Amino acid sequence: MRNKEPRIIPSSLVSVVDDDESVRESLPDLLREFGFTARSFSSAEEFLASEYVGQTNCLILDVGMPGMSGPELQRELKLRGQHIPIVFITANRDEAVRPRVLAQGAAACLFKPFSDTALLEALNSALRHD
Amino acid sequence: MCVQQEQTSGEVKRLERCLNDLVSVLALPAMWSGSQPSQIVHILLDALLGMLYLDLVYARFADPAGGAPIEVLKIAPSAKSMVPDEIHKRINEWFGDDPQKWPSRLRGSIEEEDISIVSQRCGLNGEVGLIVSGSTRADFPGQTEALLLSVAANEAVIGLHEARLLLEQKRVAGELDRRVAQRTAELAAVNDELRKEIAERNRAEAALLENEMNSRLILHSIPGLVCTMSPAGEVDRFNPQILEYFGKTPEDLKGWATSDAVHPDDLPRVVAAFTHSITTGTPYDIEHRCRRADGVYRWFQVRALPVRDTADRITGWYVLLTDIDDRKRAEVAIRASERNLNQIINAIPTLAWSARPDGSAEFFNQHYLDYVGLSAEQAKDWGWTVAVHPDDLNDLIAMLRRMIATDQAAECEGRLRRFDWEYRWFLFRINPLRDESGKTFKWYGIKTDIDDRKRAEERLRRSQAFIAESQRLARLGGFSWRVESGQITWTDQLYCIFEFEPGGLVTLERIGSRVHPEDIPLLGDMIERAQRAAGDLDYEHRLLMPNQSVKYLHLVAHGTQDQDGQLEYIGAVQDVTERRLAEEALTQARSDLSHVTRVTSLGVLTASIAHEVNQPLSGIITNASTCLRMLAADPPNVEGARETAKRTIRDANRASELVTRLRALFSKRESTTEPVDLNEAAQEVIALSLSELQRNRVILRAEFADDLPEVTGDRVQLQQVILNLLKNASDAMSAVNDRPRQLQIRTERGQDDQVRLSVRDAGVGLDPQVMDRLFQPFYTTKNDGMGIGLSVSRSIIERHHGRLCAEPNDGPGATFSFSIPPRQGGASDAE
Repeated sequence: MRNKEPRIIPSSLVSVVDDDESVRESLPDLLREFGFTARSFSSAEEFLASEYVGQTNCLILDVGMPGMSGPELQRELKLRGQHIPIVFITANRDEAVRPRVLAQGAAACLFKPFSDTALLEALNSALRHD
Repeated sequence: MCVQQEQTSGEVKRLERCLNDLVSVLALPAMWSGSQPSQIVHILLDALLGMLYLDLVYARFADPAGGAPIEVLKIAPSAKSMVPDEIHKRINEWFGDDPQKWPSRLRGSIEEEDISIVSQRCGLNGEVGLIVSGSTRADFPGQTEALLLSVAANEAVIGLHEARLLLEQKRVAGELDRRVAQRTAELAAVNDELRKEIAERNRAEAALLENEMNSRLILHSIPGLVCTMSPAGEVDRFNPQILEYFGKTPEDLKGWATSDAVHPDDLPRVVAAFTHSITTGTPYDIEHRCRRADGVYRWFQVRALPVRDTADRITGWYVLLTDIDDRKRAEVAIRASERNLNQIINAIPTLAWSARPDGSAEFFNQHYLDYVGLSAEQAKDWGWTVAVHPDDLNDLIAMLRRMIATDQAAECEGRLRRFDWEYRWFLFRINPLRDESGKTFKWYGIKTDIDDRKRAEERLRRSQAFIAESQRLARLGGFSWRVESGQITWTDQLYCIFEFEPGGLVTLERIGSRVHPEDIPLLGDMIERAQRAAGDLDYEHRLLMPNQSVKYLHLVAHGTQDQDGQLEYIGAVQDVTERRLAEEALTQARSDLSHVTRVTSLGVLTASIAHEVNQPLSGIITNASTCLRMLAADPPNVEGARETAKRTIRDANRASELVTRLRALFSKRESTTEPVDLNEAAQEVIALSLSELQRNRVILRAEFADDLPEVTGDRVQLQQVILNLLKNASDAMSAVNDRPRQLQIRTERGQDDQVRLSVRDAGVGLDPQVMDRLFQPFYTTKNDGMGIGLSVSRSIIERHHGRLCAEPNDGPGATFSFSIPPRQGGASDAE
């Protein structure tokens, strides 16, 4: 694990919450390539139950998931006073989703499939606001 | 000598003068010849006075006729002082009545004037008269003067005598004349009297004659039978007519009272009346029958008037017999007719009455009175109105007023109370009876019991009102249409639907004026079909009202032929605008909904496909990006890269599997194979879509080949294709408003025994540019099209080894058709 991105603060924890396995497999590798520390969770509940909620510097969150959805988790975190910057990702090209989640304070919302540069920009933006 | 000469000369002059005077005196008779005695005296005295230079001269002559003597006194102008009365007085003193005592001369004085007076007796003894001459000269009279006086006196006597003779002659002649004249006058008077008498007599005779002639003439020319009777009543004179009528001689006729001249039934009455008149002298007037010569009795009016003289005595009777048989018969007939009429009027089962010009009643038939239970007395004038229902009385009075005001027949309906106090409806009808001048002098009325009719009417009215109300509520109008005559009858509601004035003439043209221009072809089609043969019509079309609003009508009609072979349609037209609008709204809603559903489900599908596909895509990209980054690292993380590349391949496989799964999802149905009759299949489709086509105002014509072979295939799939083609054709004409939306579906045997079905529209047609893309999936020219219909259709047809093709028409629109091979051995199977 090597840090090759000088802009990235090393050891920043980016947590990925997505029910899709391929995302959970692929995205942490790319995040690590970016220089982040990455953790993945298959559901919102799993993330909330984990010890990483407080440590997570940025959350990559799938919108549509069985059980608690992405936006519900966003609300829950806000309720718990966990102001974690969130980058939403979704496979549904529902244009209504993006403004809704952005209004709720999300840093960005990406439609799957997205490019690595788009993801990096979103993460940078999210962490800068943090 | 000289004196002597002078004396001689004076003497001569006196003598000459004397001679002249004598001549003058002797000439006097020539002067007075034929004169009156008084004129003679005057002439004489004037001559003496002048000749003898007298102061006065007086003459007095006895009137031979014994009248007053002629006395004349003349005084010379020189002796003016002498007053005639005085002179007369003196002369009368001197010369009294006795001529014997008259002095021949004297000297006296008058008015103190001395005067010499000479008297001259006339006649032997002065019986003729006296001439007295006076002169103031003392020597008067001289010798010659005395001579002259004497001659003059003689002349006077002769003259007077002649005059007297003349007078006498005249007197005698006059007397004679007078007597002759008197006698003549007397004769003339007598003559005149006689003439007058003759004339009078002539005149009287003529008058008598004329009178008689007139009488006879009158008698003979009177258009009646005339005779005269003596005061005793004996018939004495006849005109020819009477003899001719009776065919009897005057002798026979005189015995009328004992003959058959008068009808035996009338005879006693006649004799009684006759006897009464003759005895009392009162005019006689009786009607009875007289026997004509041919034995027929005819009615006569016989009148006799007494003729009276100046003393008021009856001198005879004039009798006039007037033939009144016709009148009598007419009267009898009229009486019979009146009796009959009365019976009829009283018997007819209607209430009859009559009124005066002011409308007040004067007569009611018995039936009327019986009906209302009033007496004629109670009903007369306005009494009958008590039987009129109070609610109807105003109408009735208004009707009567109107009737009188307009002088025209009038009628109204009202309830009339029966004797048992039940009210029934009557028709009051009243007509004027006019005289020759057209003036109404009576009103005749009848009141007809229309209660049953009225109640039936009421029932009918209610029933009609019910129907009308139902029709109104249902917006349903009825009609009948006799095709040949074009006679169309509508119910009120239909007028209402078309917004025509109720009752107006209805023609196809008029209907056409309301029909929506786009539906005119539909109407034409309907009319054409209706005219072809009696059948049932079931059409929907629109009206375009003058206010540009649109009405939807549903017409159903049943056609029949009557006995004359006349085609007649009876049907109903319902205004289904609201329903149609609701349906359209519903259809639109459904269409919107289906669109939304389709879009939504498609969206959901798309989203789900996208989601399913995006997940592995997302993994592929992320892995590929990671892989590239690992390889780009220094040193390259080859192991990591290999791992991510493997994951990329795995994700791509996942995506491919997904697509395979989706395809399987979309092609679940298995196709079946069976023999299919395309005609039947097409008819089923038409039946299913007819209402939709009509709603889109598409006129469908189907032409199915009779000898069409069956095909082998999936019936439902083929019907989907047909439905699709019809739908497309209909949709292609949805914007067509300038021509009939005609759709023709036909089946036929095509080339190589192929079975061909074609659908020809009159729609927007085909753009050559897009011909080759028509059958591509997702290609559509329609806003709401998915663009899969023709694509799917072509797949289906190709699966049936057939061919689907499209071609533009010569005119507007396009024709889509498919051809399928016939069922192998189908014909032999069928046999």
